[in-house]
Amino acid sequence: MRFRIIILAVLIAVGLASGVLKLFYLQVLKNKEFSQKAQRQHQRTVALEAQRGAIYDRNGRVLAVSLDVESIYAIPPEIDDIRETARRLSRLLNEDARGLERKLREDRDFVWVNRRLNPDVVAKVRNENIKGIGFIKESRRFYPKKELLGHLIGFAGMDNTGLEGIEAKYDKFLKGEDGFIILEKDAKGRYIFPTSGYVPPVPGRDIILTIDEVIQHICERELDKAIQKTQAKRGMIIGMDPKTGEILAMAIRPSFNPNEFIRYSPEGWKNRIVSDLYEPGSTLKVIVASAALEEKVASPHEPMFFGEKEIDIGGEIIHDTVREKGRLSFQDVIKRSSNVGAVRIGMRLGKDRLYTYLKSFGFGEKTNIDLSGESKGLLRETRNWSKRSIGSISLGQEIGVTPIQLVTAFSAIANDGWLMKPYVVSGVMENGDITKKFYPQIEKRVISSETAAEMTRILIKVVGEGGTGEKASIDGYRVAGKTGTAQKIDPRTGLYSDRFFISSFIGYAPAEDPRIVLLVVVDSPKGIAWGGSIAAPVFKNIAEDVLFYLNAPSSSEDRVFMVKRE
Amino acid sequence: MLNLKQIYNFEWKFLGVALLISAVGILTIYSATHSISSHSATSYYGKQIYWIIIGLIFLFLAAAIDYHTVIKYAYVIYGITLLLLIIVLIKGRTGLGAQRWLAIGPLSFQPSELAKLAIIIFLARYFSDKRSSGGFKMKELILPAALVLAPLLLILKQPDLGTALMALFIFVMITLLAGVRMRSLLVFIFVNVMTIPFIAHYFWGMLKGYQKNRILAFFNPEIDPQGIGYHIIQSKIAIGSGGFFGKGLFQGTQNKLKFIPEKHTDFIFSVFAEEWGFIGVLVLLSLYLVLILWGITIAYKAKDRSGALLAAGIVCMTTFYFIVNVGMTIGIMPVVGIPLPLMSYGGTSIITTMIALGLLINIKMRRLLLFY
Repeated sequence: MRFRIIILAVLIAVGLASGVLKLFYLQVLKNKEFSQKAQRQHQRTVALEAQRGAIYDRNGRVLAVSLDVESIYAIPPEIDDIRETARRLSRLLNEDARGLERKLREDRDFVWVNRRLNPDVVAKVRNENIKGIGFIKESRRFYPKKELLGHLIGFAGMDNTGLEGIEAKYDKFLKGEDGFIILEKDAKGRYIFPTSGYVPPVPGRDIILTIDEVIQHICERELDKAIQKTQAKRGMIIGMDPKTGEILAMAIRPSFNPNEFIRYSPEGWKNRIVSDLYEPGSTLKVIVASAALEEKVASPHEPMFFGEKEIDIGGEIIHDTVREKGRLSFQDVIKRSSNVGAVRIGMRLGKDRLYTYLKSFGFGEKTNIDLSGESKGLLRETRNWSKRSIGSISLGQEIGVTPIQLVTAFSAIANDGWLMKPYVVSGVMENGDITKKFYPQIEKRVISSETAAEMTRILIKVVGEGGTGEKASIDGYRVAGKTGTAQKIDPRTGLYSDRFFISSFIGYAPAEDPRIVLLVVVDSPKGIAWGGSIAAPVFKNIAEDVLFYLNAPSSSEDRVFMVKRE
Repeated sequence: MLNLKQIYNFEWKFLGVALLISAVGILTIYSATHSISSHSATSYYGKQIYWIIIGLIFLFLAAAIDYHTVIKYAYVIYGITLLLLIIVLIKGRTGLGAQRWLAIGPLSFQPSELAKLAIIIFLARYFSDKRSSGGFKMKELILPAALVLAPLLLILKQPDLGTALMALFIFVMITLLAGVRMRSLLVFIFVNVMTIPFIAHYFWGMLKGYQKNRILAFFNPEIDPQGIGYHIIQSKIAIGSGGFFGKGLFQGTQNKLKFIPEKHTDFIFSVFAEEWGFIGVLVLLSLYLVLILWGITIAYKAKDRSGALLAAGIVCMTTFYFIVNVGMTIGIMPVVGIPLPLMSYGGTSIITTMIALGLLINIKMRRLLLFY
């Protein structure tokens, strides 16, 4: 029997050894894995959302802000009667009881009941004092000015991430850094005590725009009026300080209210001022004329139109709308917007120089404005030009420009020949202190100071008596500008439509010391579509109010050097 | 009956080891039941101290009465136990889906625990009375098997699967230790191999749902991590996350946050292993090993056959409890719900273990008696 007892001892030893081996495996070899499992089980990391920075206009008016609101969550293991709780919540929140019950029955220890609620609703739920229901402060993005500047500001989604516009482009400043807190929970999912893990959130920084809310408001108001009056499909207005490149206003219709971004299609969010191309039409003649003056291929008083109804370029006929028996000088060609005259100016330049100047003014290139979704425009290289192209481009056809490109190019004429880089954000603010500032950036000189002054003088004539832009004139101020009427391409036929036009006007005032360059684009107005009759009055209304608002000194004879020279 | 020499010969050192394990048990029960979130008035560790004191009285009693006397009354003890098992089925208190407890005044105890000791004593008596050269034949084993089967079936009826299996295991071990003829053993094994699938099938049908689940979960704890496999997974996470040095006394997160199930009773080892780590586990297992080796030595050196069988049976039982309990916490044995001797909270387990240790000391003392 002693032998058998020894066998027993050996068996016990084997049993014990296998136990020790398994323990070694669990505690030493697999320790890391099990520690992680343990941690995952009893720790819950709750993200503490950083307060998103605000967006202000140049004068500190709030355009976007994050407000503290409360969200309601539930800890299902703490709820005694799920059905009853769901029913009570459904009554208070005006939500489907069955959906709520399903949420509460999820096999989780934390579920959102509803997020970012109105304070009065939260107060009602809080008063009921329901077991297992808790409240967390979160922030909700508010755009207090609603549609105003909606396209430019864009919006941030539920998770505090900018998705469109300034919100997207400057997300890294606005977002801040989320913090977190680690909560310990027991096997039943009840939270016990917070542990070492606490990192406070870093609030986002504020963004200051170059936009002036007042000017923006004036632009949107006038755009709305114009669209109502003309029953146009769409419209855009952009205002820029030509001396700095600061964007002062950006109005787009149909409107977009970022508070309710979900109700719009992505097409409705788009900032078409930077993303959409259109054929500028006659407004481009200004650029062509500037190039011709700079290259000295023509002089302002040189006759360029001799009463013809059309011009033939390599077998292609371009008609003129100007019905004039006599001759028109270079400056009158611009003033009356003669097609034949403009083609002749373009041909004087030749296609290479025309192309070079257009490129130099920024067409076919991004302006690199600090907004996302900008397109390059469409400017074909000369080798892809047809015989007709030089004529078409001189009239603002066969070229696709974005409103921002055109306004930037035009600003160079208003700014003594200097092309500025357009921008919409002037600074970043942290706790009320400006920590980052964006300054005006000169891109290059595109024309000489003399050419710019000469062009301004001619553009004043456009708005003067007998000019196409007469309706843009303002009492007490000299206005420089140019009208544009472009046929739209009919998407069905691929040809120029005779029903849909884009009426535009671009100009600046006061001409001798421009405070603002304004581009007004009215897309597909009903009835008369001439830029001079549709867009020019809009310009006038806006510029009048803006100049008054900016307290711009009126243009007296002695201050207008260009007039003196005449 | 007891003289000074015997007191001198009393195994104080080994009693010391047993009490050391019990003390570790009290500390672990304290850690397991005094968590931050619950300030319950019931102090399990206090009750456990009380049980250990009562257990020690039983230990000294079991050591004092000559084991020969115990062996002499083996059949009487067997008869009383059988009677108690019948009574418990009729009048017993129900708990956890089984009728296991019998109340005597304010105390309640499980006769099935007592039954295991009774079976050991009975078998020691039976196999020391009958001797056969070259081992017992199958024919000679029918009677003891039948006598073991009676209490075993009564226990199974409660139902208490763990204890019933334990009783069966004790019977097999003691029979093997007593000696079985090789040919009979081979025949027995062959017959078993042929019939076990059928018996197992029938047996499976008899099991309660939770018992089936425990067995299923043993083979694959991941079947249902929130349900039946929960115990095993949580226990392994607690032990594994303890690591080499442990998380420190009262620092076990899985313990404090109540992820370990039955943590002051069946899974007390998990709590200990989480807080003390692999190092602590090695020390604890060494203490148990000392006790086991000591028990085996007693069986080995016992004065007579009845003493040897009694000692061996006790060592088998206690060691089996120990190995199965630790094995289930680390996932190498199914969760059968048996306590860790000396450490798990619970009066019956403590008293039974103390009586067993007392009997071992008894046998050791009586062996030395020969030399005076």
